Amino acid sequence: MGYAEFKAPKGVIKVELELKDGVISHISLSGDFFMYPEDALEELERALIGVRGDRKNLLVVVKRFYGSTGARTPMVEPEHWVEAIMRAAGG
Amino acid sequence: MEWRLLPLRVDDAFMSMAIDEVLLKLNAEGKSPNTVRFWRWLPSTVSIGCFQSVEREVDLGAAKKYGVDVVRRITGGGAVFHDHEGELTYSVVCGQEYVPDDIIESYKLICGGLVCGFERLGLRAEFKPVNDVQVDGKKISGSAQTRRWGSVLQHGTVLIDPDVRRMFELLKVSPEKISDKFISSVYERVTMVMRELGRKPGFDEVRVAMSEGFADALGVELVDADLTCEELELAAQLKPKYASEEWLKKR
Repeated sequence: MGYAEFKAPKGVIKVELELKDGVISHISLSGDFFMYPEDALEELERALIGVRGDRKNLLVVVKRFYGSTGARTPMVEPEHWVEAIMRAAGG
Repeated sequence: MEWRLLPLRVDDAFMSMAIDEVLLKLNAEGKSPNTVRFWRWLPSTVSIGCFQSVEREVDLGAAKKYGVDVVRRITGGGAVFHDHEGELTYSVVCGQEYVPDDIIESYKLICGGLVCGFERLGLRAEFKPVNDVQVDGKKISGSAQTRRWGSVLQHGTVLIDPDVRRMFELLKVSPEKISDKFISSVYERVTMVMRELGRKPGFDEVRVAMSEGFADALGVELVDADLTCEELELAAQLKPKYASEEWLKKR
């Protein structure tokens, strides 16, 4: 189980994750950021399961999440999630 | 345009959270008017943001020791210690069409009520994006907002005289950080009405100033009225959710 925190311009993103053969098999996101609508965070977690833990892949998935849900996170960008996840993955 | 102003309430955290959610839901259904309310927490409570992990943020042992409740909000943002004796809390509920679509702009509009309210108390305040109000560059109020079902709920703090040392005993800050030096560094970033005014105003004085501030900033007339029976009943029904372990430990 990997764990890391990353301080985005608004809010600290906390990531707990498990990798199996380089692929995310479990992920839990928490922190003091804002996300509208709030339910979208669970969708982001779901979208990340089964994704290979490399920066390029993750960014595609996170950007697709924003596009498909219309989620808004003031002063937290897709790159910030990716950075937090990469740190938890030990990369 | 008339909005409702509720009388000051003093409730436990679970009831207060339930009232806020019911107001949001009924407002969206057209059954509750746009509403401004002020309230206090009894007992004092730590609230955590809806995305936070309670175990990571709150020292539950310390909360138990001090008789402090812990509750998860439906709004995002961080953990806050709400001191019964030191904080006035506000909630604003209205249709989404009454605030800008842009999140930060909508915070700016509603926090504008607080800015006007602090000015009425004799303090020069300003909005600090995303969700704070500052006096002299120091945070004096923090807010959190959610938008559901077509309506907006924004609630937040007016720091009058909170116990800062107690706050850091309850929140998970490493104990060695809670030194006098750390506490004084907090006072460089956070302030409170008592410190700025040199006296502790009554809750009612602050409530009047802030409600007039909201009326000014929102361009509305606030009309005194109480919660309806339906609102109170629904809140009582919803309260157990906020008091449940399941909700508290959701993350």
